[in-house]
Parts: sequence; C-alpha cells; structure tokens
Amino acid sequence: MSRLKDKVAAVGVGYSAIERTSSRSLGALTMEAIRRAVEDAGLAIEDIDGLATFPEIPVFGNPHVDGVDVVSTSYMVRMLGLEGRLRWHTQTDNLVPNTFIETANAVAAGACDYAVIFRAMHNPGGRYNAYTSNLAVGRHQFTAPYGSHRGYQYYGSAYQRYMHLYGATREHMATLILNNRRNAHLNPNAYFRDVPLTKEDYMNARMLADPVCLLDCDIPVDGAAAIVLTSGERARALPNAPAYVAGYGQFSSPSLSMGPPLEHLVEGATAVADRMWEAAGIGPGDIRLAQFYDGYSFFVYFWLEACGFCKVGEAFEFIQDGRIELEGELPVNTFGGQLGEGRLHGMGHLAEAVLQTSGRAGERQVRSVDATLAAVGPMNGGSAAIVFTREPV
Amino acid sequence: MAETGVSLPPLPVPDELTKPFWDAAREGRLHIQRCQACRRYYHPPQVICPKCVSSSLEFEAVSGKGTIHSFSVMRDQRVQGFEEKVPYITVLVELDEQPLLTIVTNLPDAAPEDVRTGLRVEVWFERLTDEITLPQFRLAR
Ligand SMILES: [Zn+2]
Repeated sequence: MSRLKDKVAAVGVGYSAIERTSSRSLGALTMEAIRRAVEDAGLAIEDIDGLATFPEIPVFGNPHVDGVDVVSTSYMVRMLGLEGRLRWHTQTDNLVPNTFIETANAVAAGACDYAVIFRAMHNPGGRYNAYTSNLAVGRHQFTAPYGSHRGYQYYGSAYQRYMHLYGATREHMATLILNNRRNAHLNPNAYFRDVPLTKEDYMNARMLADPVCLLDCDIPVDGAAAIVLTSGERARALPNAPAYVAGYGQFSSPSLSMGPPLEHLVEGATAVADRMWEAAGIGPGDIRLAQFYDGYSFFVYFWLEACGFCKVGEAFEFIQDGRIELEGELPVNTFGGQLGEGRLHGMGHLAEAVLQTSGRAGERQVRSVDATLAAVGPMNGGSAAIVFTREPV
Repeated sequence: MAETGVSLPPLPVPDELTKPFWDAAREGRLHIQRCQACRRYYHPPQVICPKCVSSSLEFEAVSGKGTIHSFSVMRDQRVQGFEEKVPYITVLVELDEQPLLTIVTNLPDAAPEDVRTGLRVEVWFERLTDEITLPQFRLAR
C-alpha cells in the first residue's frame, strides 16, 4: 500500500501562455507559470521551499541553454529569489511524472512544506527535431544511417504492427483525435482552443510516416506549467479542494531490442500500471476519467489496454460510441491532450488530473470525480502513472 | 542542408562496443553479439549481459534471414541526406535466431505497396565508404 495516502495533495495549477513561438524567453514563461500556480494555491512565492523539474529539450542537437531552450531548478531558484528559503530541490531524468513522484515523496517525508513542480518546453522553430549531422554516433549508429530518427517512424512502426494484428484503422483513430480537439475547445490554455477540426481534416492530413499523419503528433510549443504540492493537512487549510495523491507506478526497463517492438511497449506500460493499481488500492472500475499521454495519438491505445480499461487489442474499439467523451463512461484527455493543448511533455496530463479531481476544470469539468489518473510516457523507460482522489483515503 | 542538395546520410561511427559489428559488415557478414554464458543475442550490443550478468559477450555470425516485424514509410524530410529519398521504407526485422531480436534496416529495392508484416527478408550489404558497409535487407526470393 502507498505511504502517500492522505499525506500529499496537489493544491495549485498554473500555466504560462502557450504559443507556437513566444516573443518571451522560456525563463519568463516559466516564472509566469510558477507565479500563477502559487497564487492559485492561495500561497506566496516566499512560502515555496521545494522546487523540482525535468529539464530537457527532446530535440536533436539543441544546445540546452538555461532560460532559453531549457529551464533548470537552480535557474528558477535564483529568478524567484528563493536562495535563502529553499529546503529541498531536485532535477530528475525521465519524464515529468517521475519528478512529480520524487516531489510527492519529499513532501511526505517532511523535506519541504510547499513544493512546486514545473516543466518548461521550447519550440526551437524550423523542422522540429530533424537529424542534422552527417555522423551517427552511439545509439544513433544503428538507426540514423537508415534514415530512422523520429518517434513517428519507430513508435509509428509499433502502431503499424498494432493495426496489422488487431484491424485498427485511421478511421478508428479519428474518433480519438476529434475527442481531444473538442475538449481543447473548452480549455482556455489550449493551443488549439479556437481551431476547429473535422474528420475529413484528419483523414486528409499530411502523412509524415505511414501510418502516422501530422495530426497524430502533438504540436510543439513554447510554454510552461507548474503544480503546487503540500501535505494533506496543510492542503485542507488552503482555498482549493485538494487532489490527493493516492498512489503511483513508475519504472519499466527500457527495451533491449531495437524498435522498441510493440510487445515491449505493452510490457513496459503494464508494469507501470500494475504497480499504480497496487499502490492506489483501487482498480480501473473506480476511475471516473483518465489522462493518457498522447505525444503520439496511438500511445493512448497502449495505455488504455495496459491499465486494464479494455483488453489488449481492443482500445481502438473501446474509444468509439462516445465512451471517452466528456459525457461518456470514461472521459479521456478532458483538456484536449497534448494533441489539443500543446506539447508540454506530460505536464498537461498531470495538471488536468489535479484540476478535475479538485472540481476546478471549468466548462469541461466532469461530474463526481472521486478518482482519476494520469499515465504519462512512451510506455517503456521513463513512464509513470499517478492516481488522484478527492478524498484522502 | 536540404538546400545544398549535397548532404550525405549520417555515417555510422563505430565505437569500442560496436566495432566488431561494423568490421564484420565491411567483410560482408552479419555478426550479432551473443552472451557466451546464457547464449542470448543482443542488438544493439551490451557491456554486461542484462539477463545473466556475464561479461563474456562475443560477436557471432547469424543467418541474415528474418521476418518483417513492423515498418514505416517515411514521407517527411527530417533526416539529413534522405531529402531526395522520400518516400523510403524503414523496417524492423526480427532475425530468425531469437524472438524479438530486431534490427532496423531499409528495403531499398522494394516499393511501399510491396511491404507487409510477416514477409521474409534476407541481408545484403551496401558499401558506403572504405570503412563503413551498411547491412541492408531485401524481400527473400
Ligand atoms: Zn547471459
């Protein structure tokens, strides 16, 4: 059973503006997100004594300049004037849900009282994440010489196999894409808030690497988001309804095979999901709505199946007939996902899980959210999943 | 880059771990690393066997035969040197020697409509420079 129950709650969420290319620096956007999250929690910056992030730009060859294309914890400590105040900080590898989990454990251990987790993402412009070297070193030497570099090629191959094995089509996927876009229309932070999308748009979208088209990929943006965590006891004295961290699952070994093959993605996601359920002490039937990582649309299928909402090979049918819509039996990616909101690398999924649990998701609020989950990452290596509950137990 | 029209595909840089693979390829042989203790194959190569933690890992010749596990037809210009090659096929080949022992390759002689999961393929070798030869695959006759 999880040691976190009743001990840690998310109490504030903040976003910067999310733009394709911002005129402001990533450092400035991150400050904006953090200030808004702290204010949302009913706190002041001086209250913050814990700070954590995952500072990475997942783009080939980018320089990693603090405040420009990445934002580190130490950079933000200085910008926020927290040098004399901070009691705990960290930077994690892997994706931001792992940062969230580290921070939750720090709060539970009493290492800090009010902690902020942030994630800053930069869109460098030009062709996003192109391979721009005439050499292929390290792990690239077995892929780049074959023109294989982008996730929509290698993860896309796993999706191709999924379609081949189970009979999923692009038409099935259109349901998920349109669901996300409809939800984005109700999310004031979403990049695609005001941009309508039809099934024809999806079916006719430019193919990047068959079977993956442009609209199966999230949209790279400049932007940041932040979440405030504190103890359950302190949370109950703050203005927002707490979103309690009920349990989590993390860590799956990276595949030892090239690809990685579909089979290893499923294995990785299942390992994470199994630990999450065990820690939270509940199961899929207790979950009111879910946020699934959609850096690529088809990841949602793999997560739905790994978490046990349907059997392996059935997710593309499960999402049909309104089941994942806001009024459906399991609303999915209620904020629009990264496909609709923008590429915050999983931070949007965590923020939405907090807002829905707290009853503060505005026009897109789902009724009676007792428990929700956010499962973030590309299945094997770096992925994690977290359950939130409205009540502490 | 794309504008010049002279960019070359990324050239593999062999390292301590991978040199035997590229040495064998230069001589027209597909060698894959294998744990001498538990007999498991690895690609890409490992320093220590992740299954039995033996450090006794050697490269051994494999049949060069396999099956198309999955594939992708790349239509986007996103890799230097491949601008003029789109659309091109990248394939995950499952080698006959072990389940999910996979290798990334192209099928330079095949058209996208000829490629299907489960088709049999075999290795051939594409010489890039005096030092580097690339194992490639084609549909088995
Ligand atoms: Zn071994």
